[in-house]
Amino acid sequence: MIRSFADMDRLASQKGPKRLVVLAPEDEEFMLAVRDSAAKGYTRPVLIGDREKMERLADQVQYDIGSTEKIYEKSRQAIADLGINMLFSGEVDIAGKGQIPTAYIYRAIIREESKAGKGKVVSVISLWDIEGLEHLTCFTDTGVNITPDYRAKAEIVRNAVFLFHLLGYPQPKICVLSGKREINGDIPSYQDCLALKKAAASGELGACEVMEAASFLDIFSPGRKAFRRGDIDIGKADFPHIMLVPNLATGNILVKLDFALKNVRRRSLVMSSRGPVIIPSRSDFRDSILGEIAAGVTVAEQIKGGAAS
Amino acid sequence: MMTNFDQIRKEAKAKGAKRLVVAPVTAATDLSTLSAAMADGLVFPILVGDGKAASSWLGREKIPAAHLEVIDEPDGGKALALAIDMVKKGAAEILMRGDMAPGPFLGTVLDREKGLLKERVASVVSVFDPSAVNQVTMATDTYVNSFPTIAEKVTITENVIKLAGVLGFASPKIAALSAIEQVNPAIPSTMDAAILSKMAERRQFGDVTLEGPLDIDCAVSRRAADRKGVHSAVTGRGDIYLMPNVEAAYLMAQLTVFIGKTPMACALMGVSRPVVLNLPFVPVENRATEIDLAVLLCGRL
Repeated sequence: MIRSFADMDRLASQKGPKRLVVLAPEDEEFMLAVRDSAAKGYTRPVLIGDREKMERLADQVQYDIGSTEKIYEKSRQAIADLGINMLFSGEVDIAGKGQIPTAYIYRAIIREESKAGKGKVVSVISLWDIEGLEHLTCFTDTGVNITPDYRAKAEIVRNAVFLFHLLGYPQPKICVLSGKREINGDIPSYQDCLALKKAAASGELGACEVMEAASFLDIFSPGRKAFRRGDIDIGKADFPHIMLVPNLATGNILVKLDFALKNVRRRSLVMSSRGPVIIPSRSDFRDSILGEIAAGVTVAEQIKGGAAS
Repeated sequence: MMTNFDQIRKEAKAKGAKRLVVAPVTAATDLSTLSAAMADGLVFPILVGDGKAASSWLGREKIPAAHLEVIDEPDGGKALALAIDMVKKGAAEILMRGDMAPGPFLGTVLDREKGLLKERVASVVSVFDPSAVNQVTMATDTYVNSFPTIAEKVTITENVIKLAGVLGFASPKIAALSAIEQVNPAIPSTMDAAILSKMAERRQFGDVTLEGPLDIDCAVSRRAADRKGVHSAVTGRGDIYLMPNVEAAYLMAQLTVFIGKTPMACALMGVSRPVVLNLPFVPVENRATEIDLAVLLCGRL
């Protein structure tokens, strides 16, 4: 079982290098992360992007890309299509987003999925490694679906369950997050929570469990009894593996609270049916991008090893 | 501007004791926060409800009967109506939720005729005391309105600006949050944020700086905002976060409390008198601050 980002980093250096196609590494932080991932033995990169920009940046960060495979392309959509096609054809193990609008990559994934006859809902899974928690957890969907309906939510859950099975969690626990309070009745996200609980119980979502809790208050103070901040102990809480967010705005705001909370680290990826696509945020820096690459390497290795049964 | 919850208590103590009416009181009402506020000279409590329960609490806490008032009204609904009437008429200054679930309590309190609703909508402001910065920060609406319209968001904004003024923010910096920092018609909260931002630019909210839409990384981190090419007076140093909907607001406030271990207290705004809600997602340690906030709001609503 992969319990932390440190586990991922260890696995990435043991099981690497994996083939990583980088879509437009046209920014210093990305180029640094790619350079470091190669130096650490995580990856053998393939760089797709604007020749002049990539060469200048590689030079700037002292990364010798003379013997690195490169494909020169300026069109953003062409870069995305080419890279995602390489992932689906098996030429590479991982795709990684660089300086390219995320929508282009999602579009390319959706196209390849439909060609492969999968027609999967594409969703972003943002893993969190929280200090004091003995396992990984994640928020999803934090990137694609603005206001997913019940059907989309069920698919989003399946994608995350697939990832957690790969990471060695045979029966991940799911918290369907909702803004349901003591007032204003059951809002739609809570009705989805009840429906997903039934779906999970009947086995429709794969091996997993949907928890009673629908908020952090429920997780840490079951029954919503008065609680003391001083008594909060995440190690002792029944904390979920997967947290389904009600909508994109909520997901984005929750998952990026790592910018304010000091005890949390984040790594985001899309689980396509052919492998991981890592999705660093445009505001992420070198170290977090490198971490996301390690997450991609880990997942690619688990897929190869057939960890998902 | 208030730097932390200790300073809020200090300022509240300087205001002198306010008459605070709790309703309805039953044997199950937890009045421990009130004892501490009494000891600090912040409030003179009036307990409306089960008179026997109130008297036995007095005995347990060894509080002299002269230090508060007990009104016997065993019916919870009537007790609350009486308490609301008292604050309306000035016999008390602050209303505090006793042993009644937040739903029915707010149902009565936010009735425009029988209750205390003053503005278009009431809203809850969560006030945080983060250790990383030397000031309190605010997020709203973390409780009342589920999916506010733009007109309601305008009122929610005015409500929080009023509280910010009471907390000494002369010209607050406000981030209107959404999923992304670009205006995108497919994401309605980005449009709302852009409208609020334009209204602020035209001085419709007075002396404030309001920027939106912003995503949370740009709002809390100047470094992240610079990397995304978003430049504004608000990035990395917001005083107030306007949340796109209650799911984001309620869950963000909880995540900040439970994972961030950040102190948080709430204030109800948009009403004509201060109300202490004691909502379940507020840590017990911070309920005292809710009384302090109510004391500071006396005469300012």
